Amino acid sequence: MDKTHKVDKAIELIARISIDRASQSFSKIIKSGAKIELESIFYSDVTALTEEAISLKDEEVIGAFVNLAGDAPFRFLFYVPVPASFLLADLILKNEPGTTKELDEYAKSAVQELGNILASSISNTFAKDFDIKLKVTPPVLVTDLASILLQEYIINAASGKDRVLVIKSAFKVIKFGLETQMYIVPTAESERILSYLENFL
Amino acid sequence: MSDSSAGKRLIVGIGDLKAGKSPDEIVTTLGSCIGIILYSAKPKVGGLLHIMMGYSSQSSKDGNFKKTKYADTGIAELLSVLKQEYGANPGDLAAKVFGGANVLQGITADIGAVNYSAARQVLESYKIPIVVTKVGGHKGYRISFKLETGEVLCQRLGEEARVY
Repeated sequence: MDKTHKVDKAIELIARISIDRASQSFSKIIKSGAKIELESIFYSDVTALTEEAISLKDEEVIGAFVNLAGDAPFRFLFYVPVPASFLLADLILKNEPGTTKELDEYAKSAVQELGNILASSISNTFAKDFDIKLKVTPPVLVTDLASILLQEYIINAASGKDRVLVIKSAFKVIKFGLETQMYIVPTAESERILSYLENFL
Repeated sequence: MSDSSAGKRLIVGIGDLKAGKSPDEIVTTLGSCIGIILYSAKPKVGGLLHIMMGYSSQSSKDGNFKKTKYADTGIAELLSVLKQEYGANPGDLAAKVFGGANVLQGITADIGAVNYSAARQVLESYKIPIVVTKVGGHKGYRISFKLETGEVLCQRLGEEARVY
């Protein structure tokens, strides 16, 4: 196994553990099965990645941007279609699904809270299992088209690069048919920590 | 990209450009990036450049960078494509500029304004008139450029679509 392949495997392992923990944390809060599946980890040309997003159903979403600062800086983005944020608010606030009908402060807080839970799970995995310290900044909420959030996220994480490593996950609450997207992209400063990961393999 | 008797529908991601001729349509979405549209009514050809940053001096110093990410090298590239592949006369081209929104308030500096300033300066250096400017704000733009007419349908979240 060459070094690059080893590092990719290490990142996949971290992502899987993180996402599994995030899934468990959120399931406890909503008392229902939340399943977060790692869809893929891939290197992508930033143009191709955003071109695909524009060509897909490009709907209005609300997203939480989180900065994971520290030993291995990452940027984290979690977004949901606006109507799905109503359901998230109801699940987190333990309301009857259908209670929230607009993007009010409760719905925004739900997305913010979930962004925080997910990003913290990733941070904890890095710290406990790999001794890599990361500090999670409070999630910043943005409402816009999905393709625009993805573009701003990529620019924010890796503006100087033509290709980025993308960890893409699907977040599902099966009982309610809720599906969302989650992205994690390492920043340029993470390259040294990716090399450090080789020590674990 | 889709292709039909009505023309191609070309989609432009960040740091890229697409060019075409009537009756093609070029579409993109823009946040802090700037979309620079160049159009020549004779012949009906044009292109859309989606820049991420102002000047290529911001790129890595090894000279190995994607020209279409930056206003200076990207506009030069678009001009070259329109002239050499589509037979456009640079003197007949007019520019329409969109985007540059400050979408991530509180996270990043207003890079949209910086990008717009660079795009305007570069277009001026080529003496290309800017006939439409729709930039700024805090929401992104969805752009559809029809090469049959040169018109651009522009919509921002929460607003009615308008033709420019």
